[in-house]
Amino acid sequence: MELQAVLMAAGGGSRMMDLTYNTRKPLLPVGNKPLIWYPLNLLERVGFEEVIVITTKEVQKMISTDPKMKLDVKMKLDIVCIQEDADMGTADALRHIQQKIKTDILVVSCDLITDAALHEVVDLFRAHNATLSMLMSKAHEFTETVPGQKGKKKTGEQRDFVGVDGTGKRLLFMANEADLDKGLVIRKSIMRKLPRMHIKTGLVDAHLYCLKKSVVDFLADNKSVSSIRGELVPYLVRKQFSKSMTSPNVNDEADQKLKKKDGNANLEIQILSRDEVLLQLTRERSCWNDHRGDMSEAYHGVRLRCYVHIMDEGMCYRVNTLAAYIEANRLAPKLFDEPAVHPSAAISVRCLIGADSIIGASCQISDKASIKRSMIGASTTVREKVKVTNSIIMHGVTIEEGCNIQGSVICSNTVIGRGADIKYCLVGSAQRIEPEGEHTTLSECDWT
Amino acid sequence: PHPSTGGGGIAPLTEQEEEEQPLQAVLVADSFNRRFFPISKDQPRALLPLGNVAMIDYTLEFLTSTGVQETFVFCCWMSNKIKDHLLKSKWCRPTSPNVVHIITSDLYRSLGDVLRDVDAKNLVRNDFILVYGDVVSNIDVSQALQEHRHRRKVDKNISVMTMVFKESSPGHKSRCEEDDVIVAMDSKSKRVLHYQKTQGLKKLQFPMNIFQHGSDEFEIRHDLLDCHISICSPQVAELFTDNFDYQTRNDFVRGILVNEEILGNQIHLYVTQDGYGARVSNLQMYDSVSSDMVRRWVYPLTPEANFTDQQGQGCTHSRHNVYRGAEVSLGHGSQMEENVLIGRDTSIGANCHISNSVIGNNCTIGDNVVLDRAHMWNNVHISSNVEIHQSVVCDGAVVKEAVHLNKQCVLAYNVVIGPNLSLPDGTVVSMHHPEEEEEDDDDEFLSDDQEVGHSKDKTRQKAFNPAEVGPEGKGYIWKASMNDTEDEELAQCLWGLVLNPDPESDSESEASEESQDRSRSVSPEIDDVNAFQLEVLGTLQRGLEENIVCDNLVLEINSLKYAYNITLKEVMQILTRVVLEYPFQQQGTQLTTLQYTGSLLPLLKTWSPVFKNYIKRAQDHLDCLSAVEELFLEQDTHQTAMVKVLMKMYQLEILEEEAILKWFSTGATNDKSRQLRKNQGKQRMSLQRKESEEDESSEEGE
Repeated sequence: MELQAVLMAAGGGSRMMDLTYNTRKPLLPVGNKPLIWYPLNLLERVGFEEVIVITTKEVQKMISTDPKMKLDVKMKLDIVCIQEDADMGTADALRHIQQKIKTDILVVSCDLITDAALHEVVDLFRAHNATLSMLMSKAHEFTETVPGQKGKKKTGEQRDFVGVDGTGKRLLFMANEADLDKGLVIRKSIMRKLPRMHIKTGLVDAHLYCLKKSVVDFLADNKSVSSIRGELVPYLVRKQFSKSMTSPNVNDEADQKLKKKDGNANLEIQILSRDEVLLQLTRERSCWNDHRGDMSEAYHGVRLRCYVHIMDEGMCYRVNTLAAYIEANRLAPKLFDEPAVHPSAAISVRCLIGADSIIGASCQISDKASIKRSMIGASTTVREKVKVTNSIIMHGVTIEEGCNIQGSVICSNTVIGRGADIKYCLVGSAQRIEPEGEHTTLSECDWT
Repeated sequence: PHPSTGGGGIAPLTEQEEEEQPLQAVLVADSFNRRFFPISKDQPRALLPLGNVAMIDYTLEFLTSTGVQETFVFCCWMSNKIKDHLLKSKWCRPTSPNVVHIITSDLYRSLGDVLRDVDAKNLVRNDFILVYGDVVSNIDVSQALQEHRHRRKVDKNISVMTMVFKESSPGHKSRCEEDDVIVAMDSKSKRVLHYQKTQGLKKLQFPMNIFQHGSDEFEIRHDLLDCHISICSPQVAELFTDNFDYQTRNDFVRGILVNEEILGNQIHLYVTQDGYGARVSNLQMYDSVSSDMVRRWVYPLTPEANFTDQQGQGCTHSRHNVYRGAEVSLGHGSQMEENVLIGRDTSIGANCHISNSVIGNNCTIGDNVVLDRAHMWNNVHISSNVEIHQSVVCDGAVVKEAVHLNKQCVLAYNVVIGPNLSLPDGTVVSMHHPEEEEEDDDDEFLSDDQEVGHSKDKTRQKAFNPAEVGPEGKGYIWKASMNDTEDEELAQCLWGLVLNPDPESDSESEASEESQDRSRSVSPEIDDVNAFQLEVLGTLQRGLEENIVCDNLVLEINSLKYAYNITLKEVMQILTRVVLEYPFQQQGTQLTTLQYTGSLLPLLKTWSPVFKNYIKRAQDHLDCLSAVEELFLEQDTHQTAMVKVLMKMYQLEILEEEAILKWFSTGATNDKSRQLRKNQGKQRMSLQRKESEEDESSEEGE
């Protein structure tokens, strides 16, 4: 086994609390499948037979009991539960399962929906014997109107600055705009080695990482690192160019470091990320080099290398905001070819269902209902003369006669009274919307 | 808005007219620095021979071949010589496709002056190429010109300059260390966002505002060689007039980039992968460019091409890049190994070894001479048994028997050296006395191209030192010591900077950076807290020395608290820590526990009002206790002192009994302190005993 897959599915979805209040993020329905299905499917497609899923007890219970959440995967799932209130970061989680890690790992986040060719990332990892390789994609503009937001919200978010080398593969620099108040600073020695650096800003990190096993061991020794994206990755990227990673007499230095207190941690990652002897020999004997322009050895003797694959086209979403969730719902069905209307749904002949809509299992759709560009979850009842456009209706919702729902998200088990008019709203789960009401752009969901 | 004078003014041109306008160039035949001193004392830099052809001829050939039809040559230093040279050259023949106008003035002090004069005389009507007279290039700039014109058409004259760069990796020998630049550009529009010389920098800093132009892809490039060829819009001359503090192109570029938002002018760049372009800005570059020339990198400008079209300049090219002019005689057993160019009427004796060298016209070379990377100009006489390595020998110089020139020597015009002498590395010999220079130098502007002629005769009288130039030698050594003058420019030697990568300090900076990183990850405001702690320590120290009342100390600490934005809780913790560490601070960490408590307890007493000021609520007591605990967890050798400290604090009524007891019960939940207790069971018992004693005593007291 070359790579072990690890799926991180314990996140709370703090950036879309409205949605995740009742349904945990991994279980949010996207195209009538729980979100966690997508990364699992991604792994299965490329041939993984086993995956370690890190999640919470609650999610595990739901997956094993609730038929709606049934994961349609053949892989062996090794589910590891962590305490929800322990406030564990992704790196903490990796440390938690260190015993299970026998090889290099592929870490995927549960909110990733992509059609990326995974082998691109893994090939970089293999070809350069990298310590880290990751996936990024051009950021997408979300075009749909988001419930509860008037107009287009200007993304005031701080941009990430990602620096790659001339080939666009080697990851050289990574920082958030917020940390760059003194300007972007690069050491000249780096520029001398890799004189051409592309700085890109409009990228999203897919949170998909290939990591060497030694990194997990390093985490085990370095308890202060708690998040992969926030701390580990920037650390590794930075570490590529520190002196100790390049100097040939690692051993001497390492010995010195052992005596120091804090040297321990560095030492660990250093020794283990050394290239195998045979590989080293191959590189010395071959005329291959990763760079041109000077006479130094391949990679300038750097043993820790980080790479990134940046998708130019294709789909790559991280479902971590409401806007992304809506967009993903619109596009995700294209990822799998299943009938848009579930065979067990009871659909009246005299209703109108657009080809771009999905109807879940055991739905009831009555006469003269019209459903366009929407997703209807399992066991939902849609009565006569209901119009649903551009909306996401989750499981077990009842929509009474004559309702008009547009651009909204209705969470599970809600009942919408007769003749209600809902536009661009987010309705929480198990709510009752009064009949004949008219709502626009509200996102308060009355659960407080 | 430019005052348009006469018919040739820049009245708005229609597109067609613009196309038809002849392409103009401004050639600055002056360097405005003295990097070639003292050679350039006798000959302006533009006329120094490179591959036996004056440098300015390369520049003019480059301009002509790229389609320039009108060139303005600006001369200052020794303008007459340049003028004479040009008038005799093919450029001033009636058939020349490139009309050369020579403009001379002694008043030019910089590139800025030249361009201001261009503006004043209203010489350019359209985009023009700006080059120096020492640029050697075969780059076809028509592509760059097209891009420049296109940008100007699309963006309404926003782009004022397109700089031409050649791709070349760092450390390449045709890159001039001093001219190394780092460029930040917009990948799509090729716009220059940041331009900086990197010499002497360890870290490259890019201000964030350059990344805020709506683009999401930028490039930072250090693999560019500045060819010193720029395509300028006519506004460039005006901008120089408007900003009289612009002296160099560097000033201009930086000025434009900084004021981009105000003036709205932009600079773009054009990068070529093939082609050759370099500026001979010092002798190091002279050496590189000359050897590139002989190795035919500047094709079609090759030595045998005789592009200057002068009679007798022709030479033949044979394998291993050996070029021979007319009437060259080579003695028996002499070898020209490779990359050798020999000018006409030169005779070489027997058994010589010549490699990678350029020898001028009318030279005589004796027997058994070894030349490697030697640049010998015209009419040089070399006697037998001479060895020359990587050195420049100027016109009319004589090298006598058995002289050894080590690397990077310079023999200026008409110098005589030897016999039987070895010149150490980097020796510069000139017929001009260095002091003559200094005498004239007083208020002289820094340029090798300045008039210094008047006192020549006087200095001739000074005797030559035979120890320096040999018994028959003529010339003065230009000591490196003269480089010690305050001027940065002079401190750099003739050969340019010596490459010293300085890896040691590099790693240092890395290490420091790392430690910074680490501390930052632990706590972002550690600096403030640290600084505050130091200030508190200072305040207390001063308080002791100057006997300041505690009330005033409190006032000071309070003001510090606001200055560093420290919470009350932190103030108290830091205060506790500072006080408890005070004995270590003053007397070192090797104190025994007894000594420690001995010096601490009186201090506690002195400062108890300060403590009382900060410890009021019950929570404060607990915080203070936890600070004490934390400190003693660190100072584990002194843990036994903790009892006494707590006791004292209790007696001084800093801490309340209830708080201490409560701390004991709650403190045990803490992981570390539990460990502490476990390890120090004895201590705990004694603590508790003390505690109970305290209880009793306090009860008694009450």
